[in-house]
Amino acid sequence: MNYILIFLLLTFNLFAEVNVGDKAPDFTLKTLDGKQTHTMQDFKGKVVLLNLWASWCKGCKKEMPAFVALQKNNKKGFELVAVSLDDSKDKATHFLSTLNQKIPFTVLHDSKKQLGKAYSCSAMPSSYLIDKNGVIKQVIIGSLDSNDIKTLQNEINKLKQ
Amino acid sequence: MKYLISSALLSLLMLGCSETLTRVKPYEKEHFADTKMTLNILEGRTEHEGHIFLIREASAGGDSTFQGGCGCR
Repeated sequence: MNYILIFLLLTFNLFAEVNVGDKAPDFTLKTLDGKQTHTMQDFKGKVVLLNLWASWCKGCKKEMPAFVALQKNNKKGFELVAVSLDDSKDKATHFLSTLNQKIPFTVLHDSKKQLGKAYSCSAMPSSYLIDKNGVIKQVIIGSLDSNDIKTLQNEINKLKQ
Repeated sequence: MKYLISSALLSLLMLGCSETLTRVKPYEKEHFADTKMTLNILEGRTEHEGHIFLIREASAGGDSTFQGGCGCR
C-alpha cells in the first residue's frame, strides 16, 4: 500500500505546475546578443515580470509595445525579463527589430526551453510577476491588453513598497 | 516485494497512457506556427490555377473536380 502511495505522489509531482506562492525557479541564460549571462539571483531585491515569449507567437507581438512602456514607467525597483523561447536567436532579434523601438528591458534567449519546462508554461505568452524575495505573486496566461497593464502596474506598485 | 513489482508494472502501464509522451507543449509549437503550415498557400495556388484555366479555356469554372464548365471534361 505504501509503495502505491509513494508512486501516486511521484506521479502527481511530475505534473506539478508553478503556482502563486512558489519560489521562482532559477535559471542561467544568456542575453540575446550573447554578451551577458543572467540568473534569477541577479534580479533579487527587484520586482520582476518574467515574460516567456516567441517570435512566432501573435499574442507576444501584441503585448510587447505595452511591455516597453511598462519598463519605461518603472525605471527603479522593477525589471522586465523577457525570455525568448525561439529556436534561433535571429528570429527573436528580427521580431524585436520590427517593433521599431529601443528595448529597455532584459531580453534572454532560451533555445533549450528550460524555462518553459521549469514553469510548466501552459500557453504562449505567459508572464510571472515575482516579488523582491523571488516568490511568484501572479501567473498571467495569455497576452495583456492596456487594462491588464493598468492592473499589473497597481500590483507592481504594491510589491515595490 | 509483491507490491513493488505491481507498483512498477502499474507505473509502466500508466506511463504508456501518459499524454506527456506525445503532447506538444505550447512553447514547442514553433514549426506549427510556420506560415507553410497554413492552408492559405494552397488556397492561393488554387486561385492561380483557376485563373490560368480561365485564360486557357476562355471560360469560367473548371476549378472543381467534376466538369470544367466548357463541356470538354
